[in-house]
Amino acid sequence: MVLLIRALFVAAIAAKQPTFVAQSDRVVAVILPASLLSEPDVQRQLNSGLTITFILRSQWGGGALAAAARIEIRYDLWDEVWLVRRIEFDGKETRDRLASRDSLDNWWSTPARIGATTSDRVTLNVTLTALPFSAAEGEDTRQWIAKSGGVTAGSGSPLITALIGTTLNAKPIHAWKWRTEIAFR
Amino acid sequence: MSVTRSIIAACAATFFFWIVVHQVSSLWLDVALRPDVRAALERSLDDQKKLRTLDAAHRDDYRRQFESNERLLHHLDVIRMNREQMLRRFEIALVALFAIVAAVIVATMSARHRRAQARERRDYLDRVSVLQENARRHAHEMKGPITAARLELERGELQSVAEELEVLTRMSRQQASFAAIATPVLRKVSLGVMLEEFCATFANAWPGVSLQCGAGDAVVCADRDMLRQVLVNLCSNSALAMNGSGSIAFSIARRSGKTALDVNDTGGGIPESLRPRVFDPYVTTRKAGEGTGLGLAISRKIMIDHGGDLQLAATSSAGTTFRLIFGESECS
Repeated sequence: MVLLIRALFVAAIAAKQPTFVAQSDRVVAVILPASLLSEPDVQRQLNSGLTITFILRSQWGGGALAAAARIEIRYDLWDEVWLVRRIEFDGKETRDRLASRDSLDNWWSTPARIGATTSDRVTLNVTLTALPFSAAEGEDTRQWIAKSGGVTAGSGSPLITALIGTTLNAKPIHAWKWRTEIAFR
Repeated sequence: MSVTRSIIAACAATFFFWIVVHQVSSLWLDVALRPDVRAALERSLDDQKKLRTLDAAHRDDYRRQFESNERLLHHLDVIRMNREQMLRRFEIALVALFAIVAAVIVATMSARHRRAQARERRDYLDRVSVLQENARRHAHEMKGPITAARLELERGELQSVAEELEVLTRMSRQQASFAAIATPVLRKVSLGVMLEEFCATFANAWPGVSLQCGAGDAVVCADRDMLRQVLVNLCSNSALAMNGSGSIAFSIARRSGKTALDVNDTGGGIPESLRPRVFDPYVTTRKAGEGTGLGLAISRKIMIDHGGDLQLAATSSAGTTFRLIFGESECS
C-alpha cells in the first residue's frame, strides 16, 4: 500500500515536470507537460477568452538571465478554437489555430527552444510564469475605465487614468520553477 | 491649539475618514463585478452563438454583438483580477487628499489662533499703554496746581490757593463730562438756522478767528445743545491750531445720501503721526494743563449717538476739515 501511494505521488510529481532536451548547436528546448494547463487557475483563465501568457525565463548556473521565451494562448469564444503563439529565445515566432483541447495539449507539449549555451554541460534554472491577460487587453480595459470617468473622447480622464488605470497589472496567477542539468555531446 | 494637538486632530480626522472610505469604496466596484452581471453577459454570448446558426443571414450582426459583449466581459475580468489593488489605490488617493486638506485646515486654524492671540496681546499692551499715558498725563496735570497751591499756602496766599483749586475742579469736571455723555434727544433742527445762531453767539468767542456761516441748509434730527457742544469743541481746537489768526468756515452738503456739515479751518493741520489716533481720548498736541485731549473723543461719541459720525475729512498745512455726518435717525 505504501509503495502504491509512493508510486502515485512520484507519478504525480513527474506529471508536472517538464522535459529538457539538448538540441543541436547547444540549444536547450523544453517540453512542457500538458498537466500544467489543467491547473485550476490556469484552466479557468484559459476558458475566459482572455489571452493567457506564459513567460519562460532561463538562467545558466544561477547567473544572470540568459534567455526568455513566450507562449500566448487565447480561446476564441466565437469560433471555439485555440489561437496560439510561441516566440522562442531567438525571436522565432510560430502561430497556430487549434480546433480542440487535445490539439492544444499536443501543441503545448512540442519542444520550445528556451536558450543556447557555449558550454558542454550547464545547470539550468527555468521559471515559467502564467500571466492572466495580455498588455493589450489591460490597456483596452484601462481606456474603457478612463472613458467611464465622464470623458467620451480622447484618452479619458487623467484623474481616473492616474488613480485606477495604472493599477491594471497582469499579476502572475501561477509560477513554476525547475532546475536541471543539461549535457551536450 | 498647539502644533501637537493640531497634528493629532488631523491624524484622527484622516483615520476616521479612512474608516468611512474603506467601508464604502468597494461598493461602486462590486456593483460592476456582481456575479449575475457576468452570468448575464455569458448567457448573452451563448445566445449570440445560437442565433448565428438559427439566423445565418445576420451572422455578422450577431458576431459584432458577441464581440462587443465579450470585450465587456473581458474588461470586468481584468478589473476583478485587479480589484484589491484598484481599491487600495483609490483609498490611498482619497485619504491622502483628505489628509492634505485636513492638514491645511488645521494649519490655517492654528495660524489664525496664534494671530488672534498675538493680536489680543498687542491690543492689551496698547490699552495698558494708553492707560499709562493717561495716568502720567493726569499726574502731571494735577501736580502743577497742587505744587503751586502748596507753595501759595506756605506764603499764606489763600486767594492763589483757591485759583489752583479751581483749576483742579475744572479738570475734574472735564473728566466727569467725558464719563457721562448724555443720550441725545433728537428733534428736527435746521442746520442753516442753527449755524447762523452759532456764528452770532460765538462770533467773539475766539479772538482773531472769524466764523463764516451761511453755506447751504438742511433739516436733520439732532440734539441742538449737544450739536453745539461738538461745534464748540471743534472751533476751540481750530482756534488753538490757528494761533489766534484765521477763519472757520461751515458748509452743509449731501454726501453719499447723508447730510454732512463740514467745519474747515485755516490752521496748520494735524501731524501725520497723530491722525490715526486723533479721536482717541487724551490724545492732544497741547501742553499738560492746557487741555485734556477729550474734546474730539466726546464730539465723535456724540455724533455716533446721533446715528452718524465725525470724520477727519482732510488735513494739510493749509487747514483741516472735520465732517459731521448725520444719520437717518427718527426725531422724537
